Amino acid sequence: MRLTDWQLAFEAHLLNDAPALDQGFAATLRGGPSLDVDTGLAIYHNAYRARLLDVLRHDFSAVRYWLGDDEFAALAGAYVRRCPSEHYSLRWFGERFATFILEHLAQEHSAPLAELARLEWAFTLAFDAPHGEPLTLADMAELPPQAWPGLQVAWVPSVQQLGCHFNSLAIWRAAKDNGDFPGSHAVEPAQTCLVWRHEQVCRYRTLEPAEASALATMVTTGGCFAELCAQLAVTYAEGAPLQAVTWLKQWVQDGLLQHRAP
Amino acid sequence: MATSLPFLGYGLGLRNEYYEQILEQSPAVDWFEVISENYLVQGGKALYYLDAIAERYPLVMHGVSLSIGGPHALDFDYLKQIKQLAERIQPAWVSDHLCWSRGNAHQLHDLLPLPYTEESLYYVAGRVRQVQDVLQRPLVLENVSSYVRAKADEFCEWEFLNALAHLSGCQLLLDVNNVYVSARNHGFDPWTFICNLPPQSIRQLHLAGHRDYGDYVVDTHDHPVCDPVWALYQQTLAHIGPVSTLLERDDHFPPFQELLDELAKARQLGASALAGRALCA
Repeated sequence: MRLTDWQLAFEAHLLNDAPALDQGFAATLRGGPSLDVDTGLAIYHNAYRARLLDVLRHDFSAVRYWLGDDEFAALAGAYVRRCPSEHYSLRWFGERFATFILEHLAQEHSAPLAELARLEWAFTLAFDAPHGEPLTLADMAELPPQAWPGLQVAWVPSVQQLGCHFNSLAIWRAAKDNGDFPGSHAVEPAQTCLVWRHEQVCRYRTLEPAEASALATMVTTGGCFAELCAQLAVTYAEGAPLQAVTWLKQWVQDGLLQHRAP
Repeated sequence: MATSLPFLGYGLGLRNEYYEQILEQSPAVDWFEVISENYLVQGGKALYYLDAIAERYPLVMHGVSLSIGGPHALDFDYLKQIKQLAERIQPAWVSDHLCWSRGNAHQLHDLLPLPYTEESLYYVAGRVRQVQDVLQRPLVLENVSSYVRAKADEFCEWEFLNALAHLSGCQLLLDVNNVYVSARNHGFDPWTFICNLPPQSIRQLHLAGHRDYGDYVVDTHDHPVCDPVWALYQQTLAHIGPVSTLLERDDHFPPFQELLDELAKARQLGASALAGRALCA
């Protein structure tokens, strides 16, 4: 058997759901004095699945907390079969887990669980995203008065923005605290949740609709500070600049923003 | 048969469980070995600590995903990232494993054994040369633990390693525990393996623990080094002279001091073996 064919047979053994032996492949192998071929191949087969399941258990601990160990293992095992790893780094193995949940489970269960998986993946993305060049309050203090109206900002690279239609944050928090499962229910209206990393620590918070709208104006659509003030004037009248500055200070303190590239 | 390769002393595998203690305590560790893939990211805590530790300690890069013997094309994007990381932290050398970890279609994330055939030898040697051309440095390859062997083997493992080093110019990371594990599993003499390697090519040693299931042994890196591996380690140093030694732990992480104590044991046993060697010279 040529090298490539031997390796493809080995790969097929590892990817096979059950550790059933391909007798043709097994016949190309030898064991040792007290380690037979079946046991040797089972060691590799078990290690392949165990390693991938460990990654999912780590990256989706809140999903596991919700489902319990057995149901999570069944779901994760199905994912391992359906979505074998494509990236050299295990860090990316869970990338398709939320989408897989939507496709794999009945709809009434899948939507909230997939949202929780997306939330956990957002933390994974924020964890090792580029640092960017976060604005500081000192940067803002040095901004000349004439530059304020035209000020444009962008998210720092770690910011992940999620629309939460369920109480996923409460479930995530309960999982981290090892508390009682709070139950799953829809939230109305949907919440906007930000996940990001600031000074090497992952953070999150939900936004009230008005603040989410203000951030959408300044960050998502690239509006300048003057446009934000104009938008806020509808609600806050002459208090609009004060509200805009209050939020902007909060966003800068949180480490959410950097200068928008020209 | 002393090697002229640089001797870094006694090091530990850098693991995130110990980042803060390393920076706070500046422990008496001569160098750290980093898992390359853990730092092929664009930012975050891991890179932050890596940069801080790189300022204080010599580092060596150790990869697990090169898949030098795999049936796929070499991943030049991955190699480019390895090279960029090497430029960032200036490791003393860059290592990976003599194995394959990626199949035709999927990443398998394991250190899978190669058949030790002439076909494998020339295939791997060619790829090693390509990697070395990209990295602009010798590649250091580690012997892996194995649980099956190919009936098609035309060489024993140490013959294959010798020939590969000769053909490709690669250097060797001799994992003493892996030799012990494979020797138990396949029924060969571990000392025959080690004493038949080219000493001038051995750049580094690994020490680690394993799980002994009686009929076979599994390389788990979740226990302290066992006595037979310590004995083999001393025999190895007495044979080839000072070689940079690295203690690995990848699971069941003990309190940091326990790991430092185990490293101190490596240092003491290593010094003893080297002193005995000097007396015999």
